[in-house]
Amino acid sequence: MDNQYAIEMRGISKTFGSIQANKDINLNVRQGEILALLGENGSGKTTLMNMLSGIYTPDKGSIYVNGKIAEIRSPEDSKRYGIGMVHQHFKLVDAFSAADNIWMGKEKAGFVLRKKRYAQIEEIASKFGFEIDPKKKVYDMAVSEKQTLEIIKVLYYGANVIVLDEPTAVLTVQEIDKLFNVLRRMKEEGHSIIIITHKLNEVMSISDRVAILRKGEYITTVNTAETSEQELTEWMVGRKVDLNINRTVVEKTRPLLEVRELTIKSDEGSVAIDNVSFYIRGGEILGVAGIAGCGQKELCEAISGLRPISSGKMIHKGDNIVGLSPKAIMEKGIHMSFIPEDRLGMGLAPSMSITDNMLLKKYRNAKGPFVDRAQGRTDAEQVIKELGVVTPSSETPVRRLSGGNVQKVLLGREIKAAPNVLITAYPVRGLDINSSYMIYDILNEQKKSGVGVLFIGEDLDVMIALCDKILVLCHGRVMGVVHAHKTSKEELGLMMTGALDLTDKHEDKPVGIAKDSLMDEQKDAKEVE
Amino acid sequence: MGFHIVKRTNCPIWKKIIFYLIAIFSALAIGGIVLSCINVNPFEYYGKMFTLGTVGNKIAYKTFINYFNELVPLTLTAIALSLAFKMKFWNIGGEGQFIIGAISATTVALLLGPKLPTPITIILMCLAAMVFAGLYGLIAAALKVKFGTNETLMTLMLNYIALYLLYFIGETKADWNFFLQTESARPVFESFSDAVAFPAIRMGKFELNISVILTVLIGVLVYVYLKKTKHGYEINVVGDSTGTAKYAGMKVNKIVLRTVFISAALIGLASAFKVGTAGVLSTAITNDVGWTGIIVAWLAQLSTPMIFVVSSLISLLQCGSEVAASTFSRVDSSFANMLQGLILFLVLAADFFIRFSIVRNKKDEKKEAVISEVKTAENELLYDTDDIIVEQTEEEKTEEEKTEEEKGETDNG
Repeated sequence: MDNQYAIEMRGISKTFGSIQANKDINLNVRQGEILALLGENGSGKTTLMNMLSGIYTPDKGSIYVNGKIAEIRSPEDSKRYGIGMVHQHFKLVDAFSAADNIWMGKEKAGFVLRKKRYAQIEEIASKFGFEIDPKKKVYDMAVSEKQTLEIIKVLYYGANVIVLDEPTAVLTVQEIDKLFNVLRRMKEEGHSIIIITHKLNEVMSISDRVAILRKGEYITTVNTAETSEQELTEWMVGRKVDLNINRTVVEKTRPLLEVRELTIKSDEGSVAIDNVSFYIRGGEILGVAGIAGCGQKELCEAISGLRPISSGKMIHKGDNIVGLSPKAIMEKGIHMSFIPEDRLGMGLAPSMSITDNMLLKKYRNAKGPFVDRAQGRTDAEQVIKELGVVTPSSETPVRRLSGGNVQKVLLGREIKAAPNVLITAYPVRGLDINSSYMIYDILNEQKKSGVGVLFIGEDLDVMIALCDKILVLCHGRVMGVVHAHKTSKEELGLMMTGALDLTDKHEDKPVGIAKDSLMDEQKDAKEVE
Repeated sequence: MGFHIVKRTNCPIWKKIIFYLIAIFSALAIGGIVLSCINVNPFEYYGKMFTLGTVGNKIAYKTFINYFNELVPLTLTAIALSLAFKMKFWNIGGEGQFIIGAISATTVALLLGPKLPTPITIILMCLAAMVFAGLYGLIAAALKVKFGTNETLMTLMLNYIALYLLYFIGETKADWNFFLQTESARPVFESFSDAVAFPAIRMGKFELNISVILTVLIGVLVYVYLKKTKHGYEINVVGDSTGTAKYAGMKVNKIVLRTVFISAALIGLASAFKVGTAGVLSTAITNDVGWTGIIVAWLAQLSTPMIFVVSSLISLLQCGSEVAASTFSRVDSSFANMLQGLILFLVLAADFFIRFSIVRNKKDEKKEAVISEVKTAENELLYDTDDIIVEQTEEEKTEEEKTEEEKGETDNG
């Protein structure tokens, strides 16, 4: 029985229209092992896993479960074969309790909700060492709790093979450790786990074997112990890649953007950003670290004039920008690129062409009543060439481009606008290694040319390597500003969860207030008058 | 043997035309079966209908004048609606805006017509109709902008207010009511055709009304407005994503109000053309253009040139069935409405085949063939801005729905 595969996929192909998402893929998972599935964006990882969980059916090829051929035509079939998937975007009902979310999917559960369901869920949770309150409502849960719930749900239905699609993207370092401990315990219990992730260090630490896909094709499967991050990258990308981010040191200017005691409310009316102060100089990258949804979006929107602030000051080159229209702020040279989860919601008009999207912020500049499309086309062609955007033409609607190319178009436009402050939130969200490094290079270029960059990121390793300083937020409050070369992932993780507060570290110098602030100068000048 | 459905990236234009032609002929075939059932020869009927009964008719020019009188309001209304639809503002209040415009134009004609020179009256009629219809449309837009109300419901309800206002005017005999004939005992709308008539260019016996020329001109202007101007660009961005529009520093509310006003004002102009050529108000003045206009705009996929094509065909259908109805007493002219519904339904069905191809499971060679076909199609990348909205709704489907669809497909097969 030892050598029998829990799951074996043979010769799987799947096309969507003209796109070959998967081509003749062979994948196998042994019982009681963790297999990492690695590949760039659009290499077909999620498609492959969706076929395993019954969301898609393969065009060609067959799937074997425990050595027997399996007909997986729907998610129900997949459940029956003991396959469970934890999706990247959780599929939970917010208004229901943890137990009810699990209960919901049960067949033959009857019409009556019974009290004992809480006990049952608790039992299965404790068996795997999860801490969860079955009565807690999902909307009260943190991201990591929701994920735990998803995993318990899968286990409850007797899944023997568990697929996790980018489970670590939304977690802090400490939470990732916790998740990995759980996964290891599940492995000991004989479960097979397939984990999709972009982060190589995680692959190295958790997996037994690694399967690599590239552009929809199966490349190879290797034992984790016998490989290295460098080797994995080469397989994934198909050529050698330099994995270092060079942090160049550039002459810094006086503060370009200063934010003092800023408080912003969220859409629901709760405090999203609480009394936050920071400043950005030209020629530096200030990172903002924090768990997803702790005020990053509101901060971006407030600086670019899209969201009113409750109190505080925002000064750009000595001029107040509070209360200015988004257009006026743009004209001052503050440009924001925010990549939301769906990648298209803010900043791009998805049905319009690259050309038209290039014109989004400057169509007004043309003389007369007409839009200058020729200018847009030149810009589009430049961005396509310089950033290597893969597209049939500059007239292709942005919606038809793949995620990485969409982000390049967005960032390309913001840079073309020659900003002096560039706010960029999650610029590499969901991007593969190759494209990510290209984006880091672009940001470094901007820094060299004297732009102040506010970088809101997720990956702490990258932030430490790329940023000069890192501002850590926890529930909208500043936990401290640290120098990137003096900090560690662990320290940042503790600060992000609120366990470590470095705001009182230097009593003489309050956090986030520049020594040579232009704000105070302005005030002094007034007093002299 | 199962089937599954594969999305086409692009469909060559000749294929599109073939699909649409198949749809139209299928609709006519179904209509033909219905006609045969009531003992009418479908070929004779269709022959009469599509020639508008002009063959061998001595007063054929009158039929053409009639045809253009129906065509102008429909085309202009559809063009006007397409402006709002491009912005994803679902203005289904064309009927109401048309009625308000018609009442305004009639008021001007009746009160000022006898006093002022005709050209000035005509200009004032058009202006009054545009302003009041525009303001009427603005109600729904302002409520949406200010309170976030649903414009579909608002414009729909405003239709009924306008319609019953028209009935009220048309049926109330009173001293103040200058809309009705004073000498008649029954409520009859007063005609102003003696005082005011839209000028027409004589071409032999045929008269080309000035409104036809103006409609073509407005069509060109709207096309340029949408495709080339900053305003048109803004409409496209707002329609695509309001979040992005705000981010780009656009004043979304202002753009919505402006566009809806223009859209409603053009519908008002259509109504001025209509009453101006008819010379009298009536309770059926709209001829349902507010509704038919929606169908025309969608069938044309919001493309201005296509609106001209589609509305010409729809008007042909309506005019033709009226003519045919006079010959074939057994077939009511509302047969055209049924035919129109069938065509709409089947053309939308054809849209499905344009966007997807059906592939047989298991038989791999055949599938390969389809894939390569789609690939060649991809090479002639034809991007059509006008299919945006149709495709957009596709994109908006959640993953669950897609899953269900997928399941449905396999079940069917």
